[in-house]
Amino acid sequence: MSPIALLSLMFVPAASAVAVAAAPAKLARHIALVGTLFAIVVGLVALGDYDWSRPGAMQASGGFEWLPELGLRLSVGIDSIALLLIGLTLLLGPICVVASRTAITERVKTYYAWLLVLQAAMTGVFAARDLVLFYICFEFTLIPMFILISLYGSTNRKHAATKFFLYTFTGSIIALAGLLYVVWFNATKLLPTAFAGAGTWTLDIGVLTHAGASMSLSEQSWVLAAMMLGFGVKVPLFPVHTWLPLAHTEAPTAGSVILAGVLLKLGTYGIYRFVLPMTPAALVEHAHLIAVLAIIGIIYAGLICWVQRDVKKLVAYSSVSHLGFCVLGLVAVNGPGLSGSVLYMINHGLSTGALFLLIGMVYERYHTRDMDELGGLASKMPIWSTFMVFFVMASVGLPGLNGFVSEFLCLLGAFQSPSGLGREGLGATPGTLGPWFAGFAGTGMIVAAIYLLYMTGRVVFGQLKEPRGHHAGPLPTDLTVREIAVLSPIAVLCVLLGLYPKPVLDVVAEPVAAQAQWVWDHQPGATPAHAESHGVAAPNDEPPGEGE
Amino acid sequence: MSELVLLAQSGFPAPMGGLTLAHYLFVSAAMFVLGVIGFLTRRNLIIMFLCTEMMFQAAGLALIAFSRFWLNQTGQTFVIFVITIAAAEAALALALVVLLFRKRESLSADEWSEMSG
Amino acid sequence: MTGLTPVILASTGSPAATHQGAWWMALIPFLPLLSCVLCGLVACVRPIRSTKLPAWITVVSLGVSFALMLATYGQQREGWASGASVTTAWEWIHLSWGHEPGQTLIANFGFYMDGLSGLWMLFVTGLGTLIALYASEYMAHDKGLGYCRFFAAFSLFVFSMACLVMGDNLILLYLGWEGVGLCSYLLIGYFYKKPSAVAAAKKAFIMNRIGDLGLALGVMLTFFHFGTVQYAELFPLVQPHIDSLKAGRVEDIPLLVQAIPVLLMIGAFGKSAQLPLYVWLPDAMEGPTPVSALIHAATMVTAGVYLIARTMPLFLVSEWALPVVAWVGALTALLAATIGMAQFDIKRIMAYSTVSQLGYMFAGLAFLSSTGAAFHVFTHAFFKATLFLCCGAVMHGFAGQLDLRRLSGVMFMRGWLIVGVAMLVGCLNLSGFPFTAGFFSKDMILAEAFVTPGYQLLGWILILTAGLTAYYTFRVFFRVFVGPRLFEPGDEVHADDDHGHADHAHDGHAPAGDGHSAEPPTPQPHDADHSFHPHPPGWAINTVLALLAVLSLAAAGAYFIEQDRHGWVGSMVHDSTAAQVSIGEGEHAVHAAAFRHDLTHEEHAHATLLGMNPHDVMYFVSAIVGVIGILIAAALHGPKGIGGLMIGSRTEAARSRADELLPRLGPIPRWAQHKWFVDEFYEFLIRRPLYVASCIFHLIDALLVDGLVNLFGWLPRRMGKSARRAQSGVLHQYAGQMAGGLVIVLFIVLLLTA
Repeated sequence: MSPIALLSLMFVPAASAVAVAAAPAKLARHIALVGTLFAIVVGLVALGDYDWSRPGAMQASGGFEWLPELGLRLSVGIDSIALLLIGLTLLLGPICVVASRTAITERVKTYYAWLLVLQAAMTGVFAARDLVLFYICFEFTLIPMFILISLYGSTNRKHAATKFFLYTFTGSIIALAGLLYVVWFNATKLLPTAFAGAGTWTLDIGVLTHAGASMSLSEQSWVLAAMMLGFGVKVPLFPVHTWLPLAHTEAPTAGSVILAGVLLKLGTYGIYRFVLPMTPAALVEHAHLIAVLAIIGIIYAGLICWVQRDVKKLVAYSSVSHLGFCVLGLVAVNGPGLSGSVLYMINHGLSTGALFLLIGMVYERYHTRDMDELGGLASKMPIWSTFMVFFVMASVGLPGLNGFVSEFLCLLGAFQSPSGLGREGLGATPGTLGPWFAGFAGTGMIVAAIYLLYMTGRVVFGQLKEPRGHHAGPLPTDLTVREIAVLSPIAVLCVLLGLYPKPVLDVVAEPVAAQAQWVWDHQPGATPAHAESHGVAAPNDEPPGEGE
Repeated sequence: MSELVLLAQSGFPAPMGGLTLAHYLFVSAAMFVLGVIGFLTRRNLIIMFLCTEMMFQAAGLALIAFSRFWLNQTGQTFVIFVITIAAAEAALALALVVLLFRKRESLSADEWSEMSG
Repeated sequence: MTGLTPVILASTGSPAATHQGAWWMALIPFLPLLSCVLCGLVACVRPIRSTKLPAWITVVSLGVSFALMLATYGQQREGWASGASVTTAWEWIHLSWGHEPGQTLIANFGFYMDGLSGLWMLFVTGLGTLIALYASEYMAHDKGLGYCRFFAAFSLFVFSMACLVMGDNLILLYLGWEGVGLCSYLLIGYFYKKPSAVAAAKKAFIMNRIGDLGLALGVMLTFFHFGTVQYAELFPLVQPHIDSLKAGRVEDIPLLVQAIPVLLMIGAFGKSAQLPLYVWLPDAMEGPTPVSALIHAATMVTAGVYLIARTMPLFLVSEWALPVVAWVGALTALLAATIGMAQFDIKRIMAYSTVSQLGYMFAGLAFLSSTGAAFHVFTHAFFKATLFLCCGAVMHGFAGQLDLRRLSGVMFMRGWLIVGVAMLVGCLNLSGFPFTAGFFSKDMILAEAFVTPGYQLLGWILILTAGLTAYYTFRVFFRVFVGPRLFEPGDEVHADDDHGHADHAHDGHAPAGDGHSAEPPTPQPHDADHSFHPHPPGWAINTVLALLAVLSLAAAGAYFIEQDRHGWVGSMVHDSTAAQVSIGEGEHAVHAAAFRHDLTHEEHAHATLLGMNPHDVMYFVSAIVGVIGILIAAALHGPKGIGGLMIGSRTEAARSRADELLPRLGPIPRWAQHKWFVDEFYEFLIRRPLYVASCIFHLIDALLVDGLVNLFGWLPRRMGKSARRAQSGVLHQYAGQMAGGLVIVLFIVLLLTA
């Protein structure tokens, strides 16, 4: 797999965006669909070269000189985790395009062009191996999203878009400050003999990872705080989550799907890629604090879901609750926790994305999402209801569907990383969380059942209730073939990942183990012998995911 | 410092005609203050514009005086730039004033306060 | 998942205690899954949607599963004595983060077959087939999408139950555990237009989820401590702890190991409707009756019993787990029986009796009689299914009527004899009438209570409960099935007997509470509605009922096979992981409590009841108690004449001698009728506060958390607002400000240079 392939994954949607802008409006939809499908084809072709035996290595890495005076390179590279997230991005592309067909009827060109730009930027975030490229793509996702929300959203869209933009932008600026400190530290405080790339002004993420891990605990703590603020807003982690319900409620359906499906994952991916390896000592030192925030988020946001009237807001809050599990798994820093988290990123993207699609389909028919006005749709829209119950169950974490494996692994990861009681257990791993954390987070499973079934009970089941003055639009009562075609691939993936997650777990296991190994090797006072006692494969002095 | 410069700074030889730098600067300051007062007190756009021109020329005069005083060309060069730009600006500004006049049939600056915060 | 060809059959690397099972064993769970998918496909094809095709698909696939199970039994029965057979279909969760033991999490779609699984699977698939056949007729009024939905969920249930019972690891068990919960949710909420059904479904799922959390944490703790969740590897690891228990070194067993069963049993209490999580089961009767029979009586609710029996070695090494199970079981049995005595809805009475009987099973487990518990599960599955299906037939025939005050003499109406006889058989079993299957299985548990040291009191509670059970069971029988032939149709009277209305909810109840006022409804003669004729069940229902009645009697036979090993069920349980405790009489020393007992009393004499061997005397005690219960029921509710055993006096449907007795008991009957207000208690103590907390959180989120954010946005805006006044737009002001600024700057410069 060559870097060209990766770059072309960004280039194809970007070029399609230009084509959409140039072509007449009635072709916009078709060009966008072809563009996103073509991106998938490119991805699949490129996948042929992927070396599955080394999922932990940064493959397809390389790039071009960009601004050598400033140490900038257009360098890319992916390990299996970035690969999975790029896959999710590519998959959601055509789904969003097809799902928007009837919802977006005005300013079509602008819409599809920005949707494609968004996809290019998201791909760039996952592919970047250069800090500036990463950051540019990371921030550039804001602009298309801002436009999608503020032009195509619901009534309060301007406010929502502004808040979304300013909130996440402020967060990421702070994260950038933390990252730049690492750059400065690497250039000025490290001797060139420390490791390759030390002592130079470089923005290479691999080198910076090394540099970050060599910082003192207090420096790491400050950098950790800055990065957690930035990525935490994006996740979103309690208490910096309030932009999300607003943005979700106001965004158009495809916007919500991408927001929940991929944009939130930029935060967790950032934590995985930067926070964990760059500030290992500080992370372990403060893991329990982050975990407490995650758990508060799980329960607090879950309970808030229960009193929502707007279905979309309910699902939006449920994202806050669900992503808490993901963060919990990340800060557990062990095999199950990290693999669970990575899987959670994919699974949440699928099931919550599908829920937003379903809500969008009802909204197109009834122009309301208020549970006081809608109800008992099972008798009128059986196909829609079947999908709804299916994805609700996936979201609840029913075993056999995708959500379960990741949720269970995240909880297991938190469970088996105790600092006190039970450390001698056979399945115990080093860590600072433990059974209590898992127990409290686990109540989120109950809360999730409460609010999602409450919603299902009102919207899907019960006596049919339709908004007053409702008259059928151009859409038929139940789902069209196009809508079924949008939902089916997601449903199939949910079942596949639920019943046979092994392929994904297999490719994730190695980088994740290396990541955990890296973190525990870089604790103050950790010696390689100590590291070995954790039993991870071999002492590995490469930063996780380094080397071709 | 060369003797020539010292000579020049003492207001000698002839072209300065016994006038010292202070004289020039006094005239320049007087012109500038007159320009400022005119700009602040008058409401007519054209007069105000003329006042700004006067301030320009005051600055130019000071520059030339210094240039002569130090016997180098920087000040003079600068003044040529100022004059050129002032000419261009005059053309532009007068055109704008004419446009504004056409809109409101008045030359009063108070007619225009749309740019308030 | 539609085809079974890609199923990979891998050998398991488990210790010698297990051996590889036949590949087709994996078909037992997957045939029902296939049937589920096919039912879903049928729903998509319009021309065949409204036929009975889904029912036949289900019946056939479940039947084949049952046949395969029988074949497995025939082929492997001998082998189970030496260890379970395992068939791995494919690797499910397989995650490795190191090379040492405990650093690989393996949970495969692997199926584990030993005596315990075999026993459960035999009756799950067997009863499943029969009840599916019953349902093919019962649900016929709903042909179309609903019919497909019903049978798809029904098949999915059997698949989940099979995963639960046959899973070779705790996580697959958890999959089945939640899967049956889902199917239960879907089927309770089958009549989704009824708010009560939707609420009951939701309640069932959430209550179960509470238990599931306990189970999940228990599974995690198991992995945490033992580094594996696979039975084949897990139980050998528990052995050292059992050894230290045997050696009297209880303190050597880590606290965490002792905590595992405590967590696991929370799951068991949720799924098997024990205190404090039992309240969902009576409400679950909102579902169609076949569902109540299969899921909420015979199979799913016994999953908790299965779980504890399966993980018995873990329960053994905990000091507190089994005593808690014993008390919870006994108290649930008593509480549910008292509620059951005061209900009028016959299906609900059966639901409470299920809760009560499950309490017996839990107590049996805690008395270290896994055999007794499993035997009771086995007999109970048959007779409770019979009872439910009889109630269902009544409901089906009388337009949803379930109130025992509005029905009488059903047995003697034309076409209802089989239902009546089947009901009688079921009632006799449930009340432990001598020489019925229920009699033997209940006795086994009761006797064990007196054998196990420290549980005498529980034994008496359970005997009392047996009497109450006999009373409320026959209360139903005497009122509904014998006596004058009177009836009043339910609220689902159709214009014709065609029952063609898909939209008509069939299992309607009078709203609870209203119909339960102390004042009985005015009895109406059967000619109140001339257009209504009860329609007796057809062949499918009758066949199933007859077969089930025979089977529930024949189940007693299991007691007499292999008596040296506590009957057939005992021998099955013996060849499983529950074996460490299912040992012969007088060998109860393994248990911690018993063990301490042994330490203190060197010469451990066998426990006695009334000076005799409890196992022998219990036959008489429980028989007498049961018969007394039946006689009281006859006296209070029996009709005049032979139908009421000559001691009854009832002549109409709504009134009986009991009505005169009730006022003398004060408010107690009313409280019992209101289920001791447990639901209200939960509502006010848990649900309401939680909801209020949610509302408060919502406000906090909007005002405080988001408010702070908005404050951060508001501050710059506010500052800008105050600064904007300077921007008047008047040219002269700007110029003045500029000049003023210049002056100030000059002044400062002068000041600095001076």
